[in-house]
Amino acid sequence: MIGRVFPLARPTWPGSVPRPPVRKALGLAYDTDWARSPGARAGRAAVRDLVAAPLLKVIAAPETRGLDRISHLDEPAIFAANHASHLDAPLIVSVLPARWRDELFVGGAADYFFDTRVKAATFAFLLNAVPIERQRVSRQSARVVETLLGDGWSMLIFPEGGRSPDGWGQPHTRGAAWLASRTGLPIVPVHVEGTRRILAKGSRTLRPGSTVVTFGRPLRPGAGTDARALAADLEQAIAALADELGSDWYTARRRAAAGTTPPLTGPESRGWRRAWALDERAGRRGRARDRWPR
Amino acid sequence: MRALRIERSLARFAAARVMPNHRPVPVRLADIDPPELPGPGWQLIRPLLSGICGSDLATVSGRSSRWFEPIVSFPFVPGHEVVGETEDGRRVVIEPVLHCRIRGVEPPCVACASGHTNHCERLTAGHLKPGLQTGYCRDTGGGWSLALAAHPLQLHDVPPEWTDEAAVMIEPTACAAHAALVPSPSEGMRAVVIGAGTMGLATIASLRRLRSDVESLIAVAKHPDQRVLARELGATVVVEPGELRRAVRRTTGSWILDNGQLTGGADVVYDCVGSAESLAEGLAVAAPGATVVVVGMPGHVGIDLTALWQREIRLVGAYAYGPEPAAGGRHSFELAAQVVEAARLDRLVSAAYPLDRFADAIDHAAHAGRRGAAKVVFDLRHEKRR
Amino acid sequence: MPRPGFVLEVDRSTPPILTWHGEGFRLEKLPAGRSRVIYAPEPLEPLGDPDEEIRQALLNPLDCDPLPTLLFPGMRLTIAFDDISLPLPPMRRPDNRQRALEAVLDLAAAAGVDDVVLICALALHRRMTEAELRHAVGDRVYDAFAPSGRLLQHDAEDPNALVHLGVTDQGEDVEINKRAAESDLLVYVNINLVAMDGGHKSVATGLASYRSLRHHHNVRTMRHSRSFMDQDHSELHSSNWRMGRLIAASGVRVFQIETTLNNDAFPSQMGFLQKREWEWTARDRATYLATTRSLALAPPRTARSIFQAIKAPHSMTSVHAGEVEAVHRATTAMVYRQQLVPVEGQTDIAVFGLPHLCPYNVNSIMNPILVMCMGLGYLFNLYRGKPIVREGGVAILSHPTPWAFNPVHHPSYIDFFEEVLADTTDPVEIEKNYEERFATDEWYRHLYRTGHAYHGVHPFYMWYWGAHALEHLARVIIVAGSPRAVRRLGFSPASTLQDALEMASDVVGRDPTISHLHCPPIMIADVE
Repeated sequence: MIGRVFPLARPTWPGSVPRPPVRKALGLAYDTDWARSPGARAGRAAVRDLVAAPLLKVIAAPETRGLDRISHLDEPAIFAANHASHLDAPLIVSVLPARWRDELFVGGAADYFFDTRVKAATFAFLLNAVPIERQRVSRQSARVVETLLGDGWSMLIFPEGGRSPDGWGQPHTRGAAWLASRTGLPIVPVHVEGTRRILAKGSRTLRPGSTVVTFGRPLRPGAGTDARALAADLEQAIAALADELGSDWYTARRRAAAGTTPPLTGPESRGWRRAWALDERAGRRGRARDRWPR
Repeated sequence: MRALRIERSLARFAAARVMPNHRPVPVRLADIDPPELPGPGWQLIRPLLSGICGSDLATVSGRSSRWFEPIVSFPFVPGHEVVGETEDGRRVVIEPVLHCRIRGVEPPCVACASGHTNHCERLTAGHLKPGLQTGYCRDTGGGWSLALAAHPLQLHDVPPEWTDEAAVMIEPTACAAHAALVPSPSEGMRAVVIGAGTMGLATIASLRRLRSDVESLIAVAKHPDQRVLARELGATVVVEPGELRRAVRRTTGSWILDNGQLTGGADVVYDCVGSAESLAEGLAVAAPGATVVVVGMPGHVGIDLTALWQREIRLVGAYAYGPEPAAGGRHSFELAAQVVEAARLDRLVSAAYPLDRFADAIDHAAHAGRRGAAKVVFDLRHEKRR
Repeated sequence: MPRPGFVLEVDRSTPPILTWHGEGFRLEKLPAGRSRVIYAPEPLEPLGDPDEEIRQALLNPLDCDPLPTLLFPGMRLTIAFDDISLPLPPMRRPDNRQRALEAVLDLAAAAGVDDVVLICALALHRRMTEAELRHAVGDRVYDAFAPSGRLLQHDAEDPNALVHLGVTDQGEDVEINKRAAESDLLVYVNINLVAMDGGHKSVATGLASYRSLRHHHNVRTMRHSRSFMDQDHSELHSSNWRMGRLIAASGVRVFQIETTLNNDAFPSQMGFLQKREWEWTARDRATYLATTRSLALAPPRTARSIFQAIKAPHSMTSVHAGEVEAVHRATTAMVYRQQLVPVEGQTDIAVFGLPHLCPYNVNSIMNPILVMCMGLGYLFNLYRGKPIVREGGVAILSHPTPWAFNPVHHPSYIDFFEEVLADTTDPVEIEKNYEERFATDEWYRHLYRTGHAYHGVHPFYMWYWGAHALEHLARVIIVAGSPRAVRRLGFSPASTLQDALEMASDVVGRDPTISHLHCPPIMIADVE
């Protein structure tokens, strides 16, 4: 067959020449450009619209609030959300309006999502994940992310740096705020509630339930805004969204103005009192169902 | 003698029911002998005008209730709204009820003894064949012919200056007058009359002329000519069928609940149609404690009577005539003559037909409202006699 | 750069003109050489960040201290807002009201204000449903205030919730919502869709009682409002201004917020509705054909629900806050900027295509009385200077005018149509003989207060709204309406526009001049 013959086919490697070791670029160095090729985008959209979104509707029944607060945005944005479950990212992606959803990448921990080729490829494809560090943004990942933001892509990032171990929020890192103040893009605070009950960290079973995704008013880094202050504002904004869900909007605004918004990080106490307080906060728990062996 | 006659034929009644728009099959124009006089004193009457009544239409279309079966005798000549001449030239209207005294029943039943001949209990007894009225009895004949037999008690003289048209309206108006006097007097009475055919219009005229306690009178009229007449005869408000509830609400200040029922309503409602819909509508617009008077012949109807129970509504019939206690014991016919004259009800006679065109006549009567007519009559003044 | 309004002189090569016809539209050929079509200006550029603009307006109000300085802990704050009648069609979320309410409440929250009540200033209109309120004020505000009973709808028939503030020098009673009048600060959030809206009319009408409203909602006032889109020549506004000044003088502190919208009234899929016919693309033509064909097949209910579901992509073009009159001057200038079209002289005939919607049938049926009000009340009065049709001229309305009513929203309309109009169509007679009875009817009052019904007297106001036109015009013809309903209105039915023009020639002679107001989108003809 003619097609198999060099130069139409790839040249064969002479056995006498040693092959150079393949450089496995993993972790931070993993190049995700391929995941934004037209083919990959189309495939991702298909999986998202035909599989993920319908499935999430069934198991997470997401209710979306506050989209009106971002309706006037006509530029890329950095969506920063609290993080309690693996469901958070796909859930937020599934409820985002098309103009951001179609050009969105997700900042994923390089050490967790990009440690093997299969995982890296999977998350790069499914979520358009881009590897970043958990605690602070390094020069290398910052360059990639900034280029993407500059190209008109929006970003979903979890400033807590990882999923909550106990349901309470963790202190924020400054990555999101830092990126925003460097690029001048608005940060949209996002609060996700209910995913932990469906799939908590460490849990292996899905317990279908309902979720609420609340979008907040975009925070705009002004000229010379201090990333530290912006990060604090963001943390406060997400806490206020949680408060809004638990009480009502005006009460939440009153507490925010008075500086008495209940922090997402929970009480200082440890042990059972922390867990106890969490239940208080969650308010609307799904009814527990007994599962008898059959 | 030429006469329109109805024979007992189940097949014909069935056919009439199935094909309501065809020739009135149970009726036939026949050449028969004039009725024999059933007894001494009876006279042969030559009808001049003879009306077509709603109950006649029910009979010829086979829709009549089986209730009547034992109190009529086949074959009979219909026609009970009759103005005619006696052989000695008196012009008379016939009071058609065939009660005890006419039938020669002695002693008369309790009702007849008290004068309320329309409640007579012996409609099948005596020397006459069964028949509630002239026009339903085999022996007396009826108005749709050239001669009928009448008892002297049935004859009411017509003043010479009256037209035949006015005279023929007396019998139906007497029914309306009787109905108008059924409810006991109550000042500021708000009345509703459903239907604006002959009975509806005559009821409106009677209410206005025989009672002084009617404050407002809402009439339901389907057709434009009926609306004009209803207003002329004294209705304060004239509405189309679908608008009744709102009109009653406006007049009485009641409310309409979500399912369309009124919280109050009219004090007296006259149903001059006699269908399930009109009765239901009548009950719907009747105030608690009100009286619903059924003037039109209802037959077999299915309606929800919950309102009747919960609102203590009196549902009463009004049939025929007699002495009226509410009018000092004067007879309905006397009152009717007064109403016909005052309200010029002769104008309700809108068409006259010879016997030959009975099919057209009956069709016209059946669709009178739509065709701008009220009362359709047979004109027997020009029929050839032998 | 959006183009200004335009007056087209119809010639032989002019394509047929889109004419609204209720839940649908028709293309009508107008006679060449003597007809003109008036097109609205194109939508103005929207504000980039409306929330920030509102905030700036609140912090830098006109002739007034900044809002934060008026707010203090322990105060009584009442915020009133416009009802379902604005804007038309209803705008996409977020509504201007939501944006403004949230901005005000944000400042109130910062100031530590606890006693806040929101009141829907619906005057004698129907109460809004939960869904409608949520749409107007947003879910956040609704959930924060409605469950605790702090989101109210004004009740013009609740004797305990009204207060009589006095009588103007013209003898007009001023009676308004008690909570609003007795608050430390009353903030009113407006959507100024047309020049009639806003100013002192907001509080003096929106929060008033029947006793107060009847002083300016009557035949005499409406006949002397020429037009009510021009405050300087509107008795309706003079009366409201007298009342507004009395309200201010009696110590009610009003902080007015007025927002304007551009006239981008229809979604982009239906873009042909606001384009000039000769600029229709192949796609516009295809959409027009597909829409009209399928609407012709759809039952009226379906067509109605399709049209009622339209949410306008209206965008905010300006926001002003502060002292009522200063704010209203700035707002009116902005409304005129969007809507004024200079037109030269009057014509013998005016043609108005009536859309599916008027201020009083949102989520409802446009009944014959509303057809009259929309045609002769609103469209006829969309002028400044002189009407576009001469005195003694003819108005031709295009609307199916079905004999149909929404029994929940318009109970008294049915009686008005069946009883009053069957008797007379003369506004003066109607006012004299019937208004009192309808206004005080117990049942209507009950439905207005507890259901979603317009007040018993509201159909009368609809009729008065057209009183000026009825006096001005020699004849009114409705094209392709239900003949029975049209005759009951006292107008003449015609099956086509050509027939209507033919009938009009009896009055205005042969070869009359014709104006066609290509509305919606809304415009105001500035007639010289």
